[in-house]
Amino acid sequence: MKRILTVDDSASVRQMVCFTLQKAGYEVAEAVDGKDGVDKVGIGKFDLIITDLNMPNMDGIQLITAVRKLPGYSFVPILMLTTESQAEKKDAGRKAGATGWIVKPFNADQLVAAVQKLVK
Amino acid sequence: MNSDNSTPASCGLEKVRSDLQWLLQTTEEAVAALVNSFGELAKETDSLLHLASAIVDCVEDECVRSVLPSVQALGVAAKQFVSERLKSTSGILNTVTAEAELLSQLSQVTESQASIALKIKILNVHTKIEVAHLGTVGVGFDYLARDLADFSRALTISTDELTNHTNRHRSANEMTQSVLSIELPHLREQLAAVEFSLMSALDVLDSGLTRLSKAPAQFKNSAEEITAQVTGVVVAVQGHDITRQQLEHVQEALEVISRKLDSNDASTTAPISEIACGHAGLSIQISQLKAIREAFTEWASQIQACVGGIFRISASELVGVGPLVLEQEQSMSAQLLNIDSIERECKSYGEKLRSTLDGISHLSELVKEHIQKSESARNRLRLLTFNSIVEASHLGAKADAICVIANGIAEVSVEWSKISERSGAALQEILSLSDRINGVMATFSQASDENLQKAQNKTTTGLKDLRSAASFAVMQGKRIETVTDGMWTRSKEIERASELLNSCFGRIDTVVNVLEKMKFDLEADHPGVKQRYDEAEIERLFSATYTTQAEREVLRSALNGTTFSVAQQYATGNDVELF
Repeated sequence: MKRILTVDDSASVRQMVCFTLQKAGYEVAEAVDGKDGVDKVGIGKFDLIITDLNMPNMDGIQLITAVRKLPGYSFVPILMLTTESQAEKKDAGRKAGATGWIVKPFNADQLVAAVQKLVK
Repeated sequence: MNSDNSTPASCGLEKVRSDLQWLLQTTEEAVAALVNSFGELAKETDSLLHLASAIVDCVEDECVRSVLPSVQALGVAAKQFVSERLKSTSGILNTVTAEAELLSQLSQVTESQASIALKIKILNVHTKIEVAHLGTVGVGFDYLARDLADFSRALTISTDELTNHTNRHRSANEMTQSVLSIELPHLREQLAAVEFSLMSALDVLDSGLTRLSKAPAQFKNSAEEITAQVTGVVVAVQGHDITRQQLEHVQEALEVISRKLDSNDASTTAPISEIACGHAGLSIQISQLKAIREAFTEWASQIQACVGGIFRISASELVGVGPLVLEQEQSMSAQLLNIDSIERECKSYGEKLRSTLDGISHLSELVKEHIQKSESARNRLRLLTFNSIVEASHLGAKADAICVIANGIAEVSVEWSKISERSGAALQEILSLSDRINGVMATFSQASDENLQKAQNKTTTGLKDLRSAASFAVMQGKRIETVTDGMWTRSKEIERASELLNSCFGRIDTVVNVLEKMKFDLEADHPGVKQRYDEAEIERLFSATYTTQAEREVLRSALNGTTFSVAQQYATGNDVELF
């Protein structure tokens, strides 16, 4: 079973990501902020990461930068799930190594379709 | 800022921030409870769909789908069975009436035969007298007298036999007629009632199976609707995260406004540019709060609507499929029993008719035998006539009286021939009647029952499958009831969470009123404050923390004095943009 990590300081968003992806047959782990996310990536193997941008302790861009440096994570897909929709923010995400961008609220079917495409 | 140098504005703003903090915490708790309940509800909905799917598979099964055609075939067979028997019974009544007429004719024939037997007896007596008169000359006539006596006896026996049988058969015929005239209307009524109830049952079954045939499509629609509602809830719950962030931004902005409106020293007044900045900030936060209020209402309503949609499906017809299948099976089983009982009654009725009508074939045998005897009697009479004429001519003038007897025999012979012809015609009619009866009775035969029997067997098998399907559907239905009970518990939990959220919305209105009052006071204390701010500075100051496009749009609208609606932004959610 493919493993996915959802990183968000909002419990309800994490729950919705978990609910959506578990229903689609994925195993989903949660992290409450960027730092927690990097820690979890360090001790487990994930096939895809979905992260928020604005979080306490460590934001999404910093998380991506840190994760990309970890062995085996250079090409693991990372999706940004954020309320931000500004082009410069997206550009920063892309430069940091994000694979895709989703503006909250996400559409469950489309998230599952994208995840299926990326972890195939 | 400490309480020693705080101004009324900063105190008011502090109170507002505190209210907003309460709002954040309370909505967080309400949404957490709601999300938990929704998670459980989603699991229960999955179970419900799983159970309903099994019912739909069962309903879609070939065996269940073949029930209606087999019951329709049974209906046709039963209708044919009923109408054939009604027609045959009417035919039998007509035949029996014709038979009564024939029996009357036969009686006349036997009466005529009896009269001829008597005449021959008289001729015998006359011949004996004349033989005595003639003495030795009349020896030849003595043979004639004996032949006449033998013939008369044989004829009397045969005629009596036919008369007795005809009389007996007439009694049987009268009884059959009486039975048929009583039974026929009863049978007609009974069969018409069966036909009607069978057709009604077919209608019920047809409409029931039509409803059942819609179950797969209903299920598909329900499953799609549930998916859509679940997606709606997932999107709406994220709305809470967005409004939470926006509320935090308002809190931060209120802190900035508080700083702008306060002076370092409570005894001095802040510069007008700072007050204008604070005033503009208040306008923006009022707009932001109104937009948040609108968004709050929208996503909370969406959650309620979607959860309501899920409950509607749990109470849909799909759940009632089980009892419906059972009802169909029970109705048809009752009809099958009814048809079975009618079939048995028709069989016993057929037996009764058969035994009553068997008499006619005995009668035809008897008449046939009697006619053969009549043929030989006619030949014998002709011979007697011939002999008597020859003997009379030998005797010449002495045989005048014998000539009279010979003529008498000739007349009787002619009369007998006529009666024989009538008997022959009666026999033909009896044979024809017998054929008609056999034809009519074939309707009541075993072979005729086979079609109905086959249709009944096929329907019995079909109903057995329907019964299994019904039991399964009812069992699944009971499980669905348990699941829907759980869903109702979830409904109450979600209702409580929604009530809590509604009370939070009310708090936003209070906060907006406080801020509007504050803004109004600033305008009253500092006329022209509305125009005294730097737009670029204001945007830089308040939008730095914004994370959503909606917040930026609201800020611009507030500064332009227009309104921005956030409605519909939580309807379907956003797509993934892959780099």
